Amino acid sequence: MRLFLYLPLLGLLALLGACAGSPYSLPRIETGQPEVEQPPVVTPTPTPEPGAQPSPGPTPAPELPDTTTSAHDRLLAAAEAARDRGQYDQALAYLERAQRIDPDNADIYLDMAETHAAAGRLGQARTMAERGLLYCSSTRQCNALRAYLD
Amino acid sequence: MKKTRNLLFKLSLVCLVVGIAYLVYLDARITSTFTDKMWELPAKVYARPLELFAGVELRPDDLAYELEILGYRKVGHPRSPGQVARNHGRFEIHTRGFDFPGEREPVRHVSLNIVNDRVQSIREGNSTVDLMRLDPAQIGGIYPMHGEDRVLVRLGDVPETLLDGLFAVEDQRFYQHWGFSLTGIARAAMSNVMSGRVVAGGSTITQQLVKNYYLTPERTIVRKLNELLMAVLLEIHYDKEQILESYINEVYLGQSGPRAIHGFALAARHYFDTPLDQLGLHQQALLVGMIKGPSLYNPQRHPQRATERRNVVLDAMVAQGAISAEQASVAKAMPLGLNAAPRIRDTFPAYLDLVRRQLRLEYREEDLATLGLSIFTAFDPVLQRQLENSTTTVLAQLDKGGELQGASVVTSVDSGEVVALVGGRKVSYAGFNRALDATRPAGSLLKPAVYLTALERPTHYSLATVIADAEFRISQPNGEIWEPRNFDRQAHGNILLYQGLVNSYNLATAQLGLDLGVDAVVDTLKRLGITGHVPAVPAVTLGAGAYSPLDIAAMYQTIAAGGFRTPLRSIRDIVDARGEPLHRYPLEYDRTVSLQAVNLLQYALQSVVRDGTGRGVYNYLPASFEVAGKTGTTNDGRDSWFAGFSGDLLTVSWIGRDDNGGTGLTGSSGALKLWGHFMARASRRPLAYRMPDGMETEWIDSSNGYVTGEGCPDARLMPFISGSQPRQRTNCSPRRGTISDWFQSLFRD
Repeated sequence: MRLFLYLPLLGLLALLGACAGSPYSLPRIETGQPEVEQPPVVTPTPTPEPGAQPSPGPTPAPELPDTTTSAHDRLLAAAEAARDRGQYDQALAYLERAQRIDPDNADIYLDMAETHAAAGRLGQARTMAERGLLYCSSTRQCNALRAYLD
Repeated sequence: MKKTRNLLFKLSLVCLVVGIAYLVYLDARITSTFTDKMWELPAKVYARPLELFAGVELRPDDLAYELEILGYRKVGHPRSPGQVARNHGRFEIHTRGFDFPGEREPVRHVSLNIVNDRVQSIREGNSTVDLMRLDPAQIGGIYPMHGEDRVLVRLGDVPETLLDGLFAVEDQRFYQHWGFSLTGIARAAMSNVMSGRVVAGGSTITQQLVKNYYLTPERTIVRKLNELLMAVLLEIHYDKEQILESYINEVYLGQSGPRAIHGFALAARHYFDTPLDQLGLHQQALLVGMIKGPSLYNPQRHPQRATERRNVVLDAMVAQGAISAEQASVAKAMPLGLNAAPRIRDTFPAYLDLVRRQLRLEYREEDLATLGLSIFTAFDPVLQRQLENSTTTVLAQLDKGGELQGASVVTSVDSGEVVALVGGRKVSYAGFNRALDATRPAGSLLKPAVYLTALERPTHYSLATVIADAEFRISQPNGEIWEPRNFDRQAHGNILLYQGLVNSYNLATAQLGLDLGVDAVVDTLKRLGITGHVPAVPAVTLGAGAYSPLDIAAMYQTIAAGGFRTPLRSIRDIVDARGEPLHRYPLEYDRTVSLQAVNLLQYALQSVVRDGTGRGVYNYLPASFEVAGKTGTTNDGRDSWFAGFSGDLLTVSWIGRDDNGGTGLTGSSGALKLWGHFMARASRRPLAYRMPDGMETEWIDSSNGYVTGEGCPDARLMPFISGSQPRQRTNCSPRRGTISDWFQSLFRD
């Protein structure tokens, strides 16, 4: 008796299925891939994903160059390259990492000042230079820092 | 008769319409939510990554601890990522690599040598590694109210055998049925009839998914019917792979505190600390077996029961021909293979609380719990472990009864980052966070603001200015008389300005503050970084008001950094679920106080620990290790404070009682001990003395404040803002070869 009642419902299910022609994509799984407009996945085969290591962004982030010698030199070189590309935030991120490693190094403050200045933040450039003056050792270094105070 | 038939027809019609409407409703529910809603990904909160380079100070045991909390396995010879071999100070590490914001740290296989607590070399094959960092430890997450946590995985990355086990145990006809299985239902009905109640569901994988996604857990016929209908609808709309992929990410596999472990990928990490695709057959079988009852078969709590269940799964797999009997017996002989590393996730509630508060300023709680953000903080697990250890040890020494509470904030002097935080005596207990929320009078901790206000007026004050420590009373606008006293109930007559701070004289400080103006002192406190309300009353000179350890840390951070104010930060970067940088919290300094005056203040605070109320720190620290600090005590010893810094760390410690009762402690007999115990073990760099431009040193006779000669009676070398030196001189001429004071020794290099 009950089964009889379900029959029209089951028929309806089949109907609904038939109208459900619109393709549905897989539940969105974040893999670290850039979100680009992808055509909805219609085929049942899941898209193979590259490796277990998710890549960080649209372009794979660069590893630090292996050319320089000491820990903070590499970071300063990377920061300079980033600054030259106009990526000031990235440059500052390198410099902050360098500062955590070697906090008494006036060169790092000088580079921070230079980066802030390049980004148009003159007040911050001045304060960074002022802090760097506490650590400068050579006349060249101190003068370079003082230049930001005027 | 005809009438009855007519009525029946109408009734059926109504039923049909209602039924159709209901189906349409269920269908809409499924299709509107299945694709988007499901993957709520909690934010992951990471500790700072450990930076490794030749020359960095690092104790071998601290590196071992860092690797342990990261879940690196100790092996004889590391062969794959996440393994380490150690022989005393020699480590061979196969790192996992990590995608940091904007920068990738590759997987490396390095040999690292630590000699005398300093990394001597890092080699990778035949080349030297200049700089590298380990992956950061995940210290917590920000979960939705229901606590769901998961790591998403693609179906293609799930081991074949795990899926075979899943089908063998949960749904043998998965690829054949339409969402429900009549044989399964019959079997379940049978056992329900036999036992007289609902004990088995007979659910297919599709039904289980529907149940978890859309339905409540209670077992009723109506719910079962809904489940059935929705399962069929789901099968109509989506293919088997999509359903299976959703299932493996959704399935509930246990609880860890407030956190619900969902999906095989997270379960693999949680129980075995191994990526899903690297699980052994025995581990896969255990996870599959746990679906039936994640707490019943919890391998951590019921290893015996879990083992039996695992073996049942292996047998079922043999029966289904998924594996051979031989493979099964090998897997059965294996131990459970659980993750033995200490659980550190969510065990630092005080720090996570700080992170959450910083996040709430800019993000909605809902987004934090669902968008899959990665939050990179400055949290240092090694320093935190030491801070917790020092808190527990010192509080146990001071008070065996357990009445006393303690809280500490540790920041990095150069960056203003909060690196460790303890919010109470039970360090991993998520209760009242005293470091942030216990607001108390600060006692003498505010005095430096009075002296700084004076020293910023170099035409009137220097460290050697003579001031009076004498009793006085003033009537306040509300008619009350304010009559401060010294701790020793004595007045000390004429003293030099720095001596008022060194000995924490209340009379001299309060009088000086009144001479300068209460408003000027309040202004200095604000400029130093106190953001909350500061009462503009004379007693503010002696610490009136309500300040948390974090407030005090903000003030002392500016002093420690030489006059550069920076907000106390816990977060460095926020990255979205795709790895795109979302927000960076950059280092920024603000210049709000005179650098020269702060330098003089640092001298006075160094004198506090050399000659004054803070001398006790050298019971912990080596005599050559320069630090600066200040004690604080409030009435009846209700609060015992110490705030101080070395070259790398600033720490503020507070000890008191939650009921605000007396502790019988002063700053130096209480919080100083906690501070000293911690700093002696945690700080690596003594305070270096750096004089800004426009300053000079001078020999001063500390008995009268006159300029004198080196080696003369009571001679002391002191810094001055140029031009503010005393004019009067003793008639003593300099002598060579005398014992130098601590300050003089700073200039030897």
